[in-house]
Amino acid sequence: MESVFTSVLKYLREVYLGVKSILTSCFTALPYLFNRRSGDLHKEVTEQYPDPVSSRTADDLPSRSRGLLFNDIDRCTGCKACEEICPTKCITVENELGTEASKVWVAVFDIDMSRCMFCGLCVEVCIPQSLVHTKEYEGAAYYPRDLVISFGRGRITPEQRTKWAAIRQAKEAEETL
Amino acid sequence: MKPWMSAWDGLDVFPAGTPEWAVAASIVGFVYFFVIMPGAGFMAFLDRKISADLQARIGPNRVGLAGLFQPLADLLKLLQKEKRIVSGWREAFWLGLHTMALYSTVAVLPLGSMFLLVDTDMSAFMLFWAALILALGTMLMGLNQGSIPGWFGGIRVASQALAGAFPAMIGMICVGLRAGSFRWSAVAAAQGSSPLHWTVFSDPFQFIAFFVFLASGMVLLGISPLDGGLSVPDIHGGVSSHLYGRRLSLFRLGRFYGFFLWSEIAVVLFMGAWNLPLFVTDAIRNYSTPVALEAVELLVLLVKTGLVMLGVTWVARANPRIRADQITDMAWKVLSPLSLMALIGTTVWMIWVNH
Repeated sequence: MESVFTSVLKYLREVYLGVKSILTSCFTALPYLFNRRSGDLHKEVTEQYPDPVSSRTADDLPSRSRGLLFNDIDRCTGCKACEEICPTKCITVENELGTEASKVWVAVFDIDMSRCMFCGLCVEVCIPQSLVHTKEYEGAAYYPRDLVISFGRGRITPEQRTKWAAIRQAKEAEETL
Repeated sequence: MKPWMSAWDGLDVFPAGTPEWAVAASIVGFVYFFVIMPGAGFMAFLDRKISADLQARIGPNRVGLAGLFQPLADLLKLLQKEKRIVSGWREAFWLGLHTMALYSTVAVLPLGSMFLLVDTDMSAFMLFWAALILALGTMLMGLNQGSIPGWFGGIRVASQALAGAFPAMIGMICVGLRAGSFRWSAVAAAQGSSPLHWTVFSDPFQFIAFFVFLASGMVLLGISPLDGGLSVPDIHGGVSSHLYGRRLSLFRLGRFYGFFLWSEIAVVLFMGAWNLPLFVTDAIRNYSTPVALEAVELLVLLVKTGLVMLGVTWVARANPRIRADQITDMAWKVLSPLSLMALIGTTVWMIWVNH
């Protein structure tokens, strides 16, 4: 059986600990009031999306943020490096021979954004740097098929194929002369 | 002119021969519409902004400059809510009781050396009447709802009011011991304008008594962080579970009024009331009217009250809310013994140290 003195001391100690815990949480919260926080969280707050007051746009994102993919088909060589490295196999490239032996007609360049995991590997391997991540992040669509983005020049008809083959052969014949 | 009304005789803003009841009614109306209602809106805004900052959110930022008019927009929204229940005698009874409680307790508020509507030997005790009427009205409203959250909420409100009243009363008696009276003017005169002459810093036991008084008031009126009687997760807001629209805005105004009343009384009792430095008082007396002096005093009092309210809000938003049974437990087992300790300590201090 403990003495009255011990009980009173215990009681006072508990009161002290309660007050201390209240004050600790108060002073932990205080820096947040003045936005003085350490590290990357500085002045970062949760805000409504889309927020018309702060009116943040896609351009306000960090420079290296990875949004939806974009391929500049005029610079694309159709080398299929992106297709090969893609871990989720979401890029489909189909090439045709063009009017010159050195030029490739990129007929199909489809990216299935529903499978893309935004790893950025395809952008890294792209030698002509035609494939880039935009800052666009609003990719919602009603149907999965709408998530397939096509950058290709389109398939060519059999007539065009024979015509282009003829042009190509004519040029080769000129060069060999 | 009755003797207890002589304090605001010097205001002379009313023409001679104005009946006493008209003077009293206009003062109460002035306080209600120009002090309490804008104060409620502004404090609601500050509360939301500060709690947003503490939780790394933005808070209201749409209406007006930095969302300053958000409370007004909320009020307008609440006022145009459609009625769900046909109003009957219950609503009329509750509205009547609540309004009566609000208006009658404005009369006991001390708001400056000349703005004392009721300045008698037991003025300070009247705040218990005010606070208990507010608690009683809230309890009756809960019991009137005819729903389980209402019944439980009403009982919780009553138990919190009973638990908080005892330590609050003892804390107030500590001030009475020092001032030698419970008259508002005497309590104010016992303190000075400098914090060194405030009751709260006059001795260590008054310091304890101040915090006990403030905390037990929060218990008594069920003000956040000690508002377990109105908690949402277990009893759906208790007495406020069925309120919406006009009635909700009235209820919120009443809750704010309780908070304001208690902080304001705590400032008057412990934190130097409306006292200005003597040279300031003299300067205003010599170069301006008594009304200007009263206005400055009221401003000082309101600023101090606002700071106390912000402090309570800070504690409330940074700490988790505790259950209703833990609140009454704390009031009986911690606040009450501490208040008695403060009372005994103050008595001993006054006899052995001050003399």
